[in-house]
Amino acid sequence: MRLYEYVARRLLLMIFVLLALSVLIFYLTRGLLPPTTALAAYITPRMDDSAKLSVARALGVATTSCPSYSAFVSLQGGCVVPLWGQYVGWLENALAGNWGLTLLPGISGTDTTWHVFFSRFPYTAELAIAGAFLTIIIGIPLGIVSATHNNKLPDHISRMVSLGGYSIPQFWFGAVLQILFVLYIRVNGSGLLSANSTVATRCVICFSGVVPGEIARYSGIPLLDGILSLNFPYFWDSVVALILPALTLAITSIGAISRIVRSSMMEVLRQDYITLARSKGLKENVVIYRHALRNAILPAVTVSGLLVAYLLGGAVIVEIVFSWPGVGNASLAAANVLDINFLELYVLVTAVIIVVTNLAVDVIYAKLDPRIRY
Amino acid sequence: MKASKPEESQSSDRYGRRADLKYALHLLRRNPIVLAGVTISVASVLLALLSPLIVNPTSWDQQPLNLRLCWNNPIVNWQIANVFNCGGSAVYPLGTDSYGRSLLQMIILAIPVDLEIAFEVVASAVVIGVFFGGLAGYKGGIVDEAILRVTDVFLAIPGILLAIVLIVVLGRSLPTLTIAVLTTWWPYYVRLMRSQVLSEKEKPYVERLRAMGAGDVRILYGHIVQNSIYPVLVQATLDIGSVILTVSALTFIGLTPSPLLPELGNLANQGIQYIFTAPWLILFPGLTILIISLGFNLLGDGIRDVFDPRLRR
Repeated sequence: MRLYEYVARRLLLMIFVLLALSVLIFYLTRGLLPPTTALAAYITPRMDDSAKLSVARALGVATTSCPSYSAFVSLQGGCVVPLWGQYVGWLENALAGNWGLTLLPGISGTDTTWHVFFSRFPYTAELAIAGAFLTIIIGIPLGIVSATHNNKLPDHISRMVSLGGYSIPQFWFGAVLQILFVLYIRVNGSGLLSANSTVATRCVICFSGVVPGEIARYSGIPLLDGILSLNFPYFWDSVVALILPALTLAITSIGAISRIVRSSMMEVLRQDYITLARSKGLKENVVIYRHALRNAILPAVTVSGLLVAYLLGGAVIVEIVFSWPGVGNASLAAANVLDINFLELYVLVTAVIIVVTNLAVDVIYAKLDPRIRY
Repeated sequence: MKASKPEESQSSDRYGRRADLKYALHLLRRNPIVLAGVTISVASVLLALLSPLIVNPTSWDQQPLNLRLCWNNPIVNWQIANVFNCGGSAVYPLGTDSYGRSLLQMIILAIPVDLEIAFEVVASAVVIGVFFGGLAGYKGGIVDEAILRVTDVFLAIPGILLAIVLIVVLGRSLPTLTIAVLTTWWPYYVRLMRSQVLSEKEKPYVERLRAMGAGDVRILYGHIVQNSIYPVLVQATLDIGSVILTVSALTFIGLTPSPLLPELGNLANQGIQYIFTAPWLILFPGLTILIISLGFNLLGDGIRDVFDPRLRR
């Protein structure tokens, strides 16, 4: 099979998986909860019953023969569209971006779910990317060192780090970091930007569409906005605010990736071509970093695909501990007020990201390792 | 397995499993870290079993009035030492919580709750994994494809998120929590068992069994599964800790049936609002989770060393 055939097959599978996933989520949220729960995002208290009924009809939840809204609420026979019919209507609305109004406390009914989600999502993305970055720059060297110093002190340290990372509750680690930093070292470790930085958000050199003196939001990601607007105090504040949450998020995956790199590195170091490289008189560093690492890093590439999924999920806990203004933090609020649409949107967006990343990783893997056939 | 320890291969041939057990004990003695893992995990299970005898199991619902008053009294100088000593530090070695209960007692009551959920989730996941994973690996073809695609769907959602949705939909209770975590956990076991069966079913003894006229069910669940289940059991041991982490994370963010429930994440949850005034509320329950899950991880690591001959060198 050629590469493009493989990619085409995977794309088809991807669409299938996403459709199946949407059915699952639809069934969980709409099939198991009464139809009025999801309707809450589309109706306002001020609407009269006929307006509510027409909204329900437009969404494909109530049938056209339904006499009144109260009949619909009491689930009168012939009033509620069967589930598969509801699914079609739901999917149409979902793909059109019609996710209703948000029910999140404080901003309930004033903004659309779609807008609330995507204005918060950059923060989560920033956290997840920073977590992945820390995982890679700490985890991979840790794995290499523990493989080259097998059963010596660096190996033991790396083993403790990885076992500790597997075993430590993330919320607890985050809380301990906060206690240490805030109570004793008195550094701003709460994950919130310091007070003067909100003022410093105003752009210095402004790109199109941003008026000088206004708050610069090109990407929504604070770190990136700080660079783009050449606002370095803001940039620095975002970096400082990011360190502890990102470390908390990465602590588990650092251990995982270092163990993977360690075992694959040890496997590679036993092979003949490494002995050859050494017998040619190459320096040990060259042997390890030029010859061995290239092959040993491959399994870590596969895992880094799963890493995204893991970090996006783990972000929920970290965001809550650090009061991070991302989607994970809002998802708990959404769960508390039964904002079904927000949760559905969150699940679907992360699922799309995970599925696409997995595909990309597999393709990159095949490019990196010519031995892989489809 | 036997070839990799030449110095014992003679006795191993003669005594078979007994020699393996002896070898495992030898490894245990040689490796203090694994010994620590065994000690911690056995101790936590014992503590969980004995917990109703140590602490009155209904005491979590009682909120001593004087302690509540001490906690919520604005006149009391709100300093860490004062609040910690609300009931006297000799009576309450780990301090009291915001409901005026002894934190140590609550932690002892919470350990069986968490361990029970963890064992339920892992055991169910192993059973599901052995059944469907074995089926997928052994049958191949469309059965394999169908089972794999279903796991794909579940693996495409971050576990915590799926669990949150499930708890919201099904309601907040301990069984729901178990089901929610199990829903995110089983696909890994199906994948793991499938890959084990795939490599095991090509071995000559399977051919021999088939030639002897053994049925598929007997070959798969009687022989192949028995020979390939060790990695699954190792994963199960490692996962006890991870399940406790996930469950406590979910209860920590507030997805519990009751804020009073003694459950390690739930105990830590009431600590987050007092994080800078009463840090022990989050420190000790979290530390308990860390120790228990570290114990099972060390145990799983040790078992893997014993059963995986490639790592013995």
